[in-house]
Amino acid sequence: MQPNHFAKAALLTAVLVLTGLSAWEWHLRNKGLEISYDDGKELWAHVRAKAYADPATSTVFIGSSRIKYDLDISTWRKRTGRDAVQLAIEGSSPLPVLHDLANDDKFRGDLVVDVTEGLFFATRPGAADDPTQFKDYFYDQTPAQQFSCNIHRSLESGLVFLDRDNFSINAMLDKNRPADRPGVFNFPLFPLEFGRVTIGRQNLMTDEFLVDTSLQNMVTGNWLFFRSINKEPPASGARLDSIINAVKISVEKIRARGGSVLFVRTPSSGPFWKGEQAAFPREKYWERLLKGTNSPGVHFADYPETAGFICPEWSHLSPKDAITYTLRFADILENEQGWSFRRMTASK
Amino acid sequence: MLFNSYTFILFFVVVLILHNMRFPWKMKKVNLLLASYLFYAVWNPPFVILLWISTLVDFVVGKKLFHEENRTRRKVLLVISLAVNLGMLGFFKYGAFLMENFVLLMSAIGIEYQAAPPDIILPVGISFYTFQTLSYTLDMYRKQGQPESSLLDFSLFVTFFPQLVAGPIVRPGQLIPQFKTPHRATSEQFMHGLFLLTLGLFMKVVLADIMLSKSADTVFGTGRVLLPLDAWLGVLAFSGQIFFDFAGYSTCAIGIAACLGFTLPDNFKYPYAAAGFSDFWRRWHITLSTWLRDYLYIPLGGNRKSEARTYINLMITMLLGGLWHGASWTFVVWGALHGTYLAVERMFRPRKVPGNVEPDHAPEITLLQPATQTVTASFVPSFLYRRTVRRFLLVLLTFFLVNVTWVFFRAQDFPTAWRLLTSMFGYQQGGEAILPTLAMIKVSVVIGLMVLVHWLMRNTSVLAVARRTPSWAVAIVWSIMIMALLLSQESSSSFIYFQF
Repeated sequence: MQPNHFAKAALLTAVLVLTGLSAWEWHLRNKGLEISYDDGKELWAHVRAKAYADPATSTVFIGSSRIKYDLDISTWRKRTGRDAVQLAIEGSSPLPVLHDLANDDKFRGDLVVDVTEGLFFATRPGAADDPTQFKDYFYDQTPAQQFSCNIHRSLESGLVFLDRDNFSINAMLDKNRPADRPGVFNFPLFPLEFGRVTIGRQNLMTDEFLVDTSLQNMVTGNWLFFRSINKEPPASGARLDSIINAVKISVEKIRARGGSVLFVRTPSSGPFWKGEQAAFPREKYWERLLKGTNSPGVHFADYPETAGFICPEWSHLSPKDAITYTLRFADILENEQGWSFRRMTASK
Repeated sequence: MLFNSYTFILFFVVVLILHNMRFPWKMKKVNLLLASYLFYAVWNPPFVILLWISTLVDFVVGKKLFHEENRTRRKVLLVISLAVNLGMLGFFKYGAFLMENFVLLMSAIGIEYQAAPPDIILPVGISFYTFQTLSYTLDMYRKQGQPESSLLDFSLFVTFFPQLVAGPIVRPGQLIPQFKTPHRATSEQFMHGLFLLTLGLFMKVVLADIMLSKSADTVFGTGRVLLPLDAWLGVLAFSGQIFFDFAGYSTCAIGIAACLGFTLPDNFKYPYAAAGFSDFWRRWHITLSTWLRDYLYIPLGGNRKSEARTYINLMITMLLGGLWHGASWTFVVWGALHGTYLAVERMFRPRKVPGNVEPDHAPEITLLQPATQTVTASFVPSFLYRRTVRRFLLVLLTFFLVNVTWVFFRAQDFPTAWRLLTSMFGYQQGGEAILPTLAMIKVSVVIGLMVLVHWLMRNTSVLAVARRTPSWAVAIVWSIMIMALLLSQESSSSFIYFQF
């Protein structure tokens, strides 16, 4: 062995790693891909810390994926003068986060709760898994973890390949997975173009997704798959009463501290909307929720200006429609729900 | 602070810079000590107090023990050290377990006793540093080695951050003398350290977390009866996960220490190439098995007394070794299985010639020795007598039996362990398929390669191989490991052994 054997190897390693990663980054950027953030518990906890901001300067949003697509955060900021603290979590019930905010004395702000009935009134325990894990992480994270997450976000903001959902080893292997044996459950794949995530936790469909019907069909196929495997009947009877009662208690806790809670039903369309109407009749779920919790609500179907959106994959708005929807939603809040916004000046 | 985190990288860079500046050696040691306390405090700052208590008690008691000649006073001093160290360990690690079993015992004899479950957080790594400081006190009690006169050096021995929370468990004689003279890594040693750090992180992040953990979690987490194939793959995934996780940590620790100019003992030597269980324990968690041998098995009498007593000593050592890993009866069963394997192995060894003094260690493996060949020659294919083939078959048999023990180590309770075992051996009808095909491929490839690499490397070390390999080839392997680490993009997950 030569005396500088490992030093030579280290130098060559540095060259190979830099070359390899640069080539990979260049390849991805050449494909037109942009930065997307890992939307895991770390980013959620980072955003969750902003929930304590002055209500005059921020509004907290919880729910599932729809509000993450349908609320355009920069439009909201410009229109209302408030920040949007996006705490919705895909494919999950917002109730654990609602109860957590209600039990957190430091939270005194305005809360908008997105209601996707199949998740909000879910009876399967799995719907609460991610929100519970995320909120636990928020309380349990150490300063060292926070520091690591801050560094990771800085790197993510400059490197396309740091996209855990699409370019991590597991994600890339998963995209080429072989067929499974009958009876084995494997979470279906979503195309990369369906969900790019911003630092503020907004989801965006790409332009390719909006024009490529095969990608859209892949997602609608996934919705049908989820519907086919969900054997749990919608909550009813005592179970439904219990959910609404628990929500009522949480809403009252937030109001007692000077905060406010408003429910929103964001748009869906096509077969998805029809299926939701059949499974979750409005008077039995939406109306009961508002009445049972004595809360205001904004249902997209109640307003001509929000009723006509077509979702490319039946369930979420395109980025362009999200801008329109956000403006109209803010108008409804201001004009019909009595919210007052400080309109941003042109300079802001 | 986790090795597999950005925070640690920054922390380590700062420590390296300070360690390589032109400060007096004493100041560098103070830097290392403060860095070690910071490293530990980021988990839970108040638990640093436990480190201070353990350090101060053993420093003072150890010195007095060495100089004290009065037998009664010596015993009192020893009891003080044991009470403080094992008391803290017992309270934090076994408090809830003891209470739970006390309630069950009371219930069994007809006394209704209810106690609120204690809300105790386990200080990370307490089992490791407790054993490390205990080794000093016990050495002083036996007047082996010299008492340490420098509180700074002793504190650094207890707290040295590379191995503080998950080993290797270092003996005073292995580390304290290194603090006596200035240590700074040579450029070659520094590169070795970086290579080992990369290798350790690759084992932990890429192999344990990405390739294997999900399959193990799925199989152990489901409440269903499984097909034997799925059950076995889940258990094999865990056998790989626990090795890559723990050996990965030890490799990182050795690498980090090397970057600072210090040497830590090996903790793993390709354990899945072990031919028999005494061989396994000479390759798996070496610093714990030697600790148990020197401070428990031999003081109990080792194999110096009767044959029956040797088996009892062996079993006591392995049962306590099991309990060291966690406050659960499943760990005790894991230890009992290893104790049984070692005892059975001992029974099959050839008889010693009378008058020969048997070395005081666990029995040598003797299964399939030539003496048995003539008996079995008529119905065993001749190629099986080749020494290498014979040994490889023994390795596979050992690996198979080790996997059975891992079921109890990983299962959260006995029903889970029983469900897994009955699934593995096809004792229950209606087993379900649960693992996706990709997961099955990952486990098969990684475990197959792991056993092969362990077999090929069983008599050497990774640095020895790297030194013999052209630098360009080392660079390619090193680059692949770094790129895989960067592309893994896993959230920093804790090392399994932190909980022990």
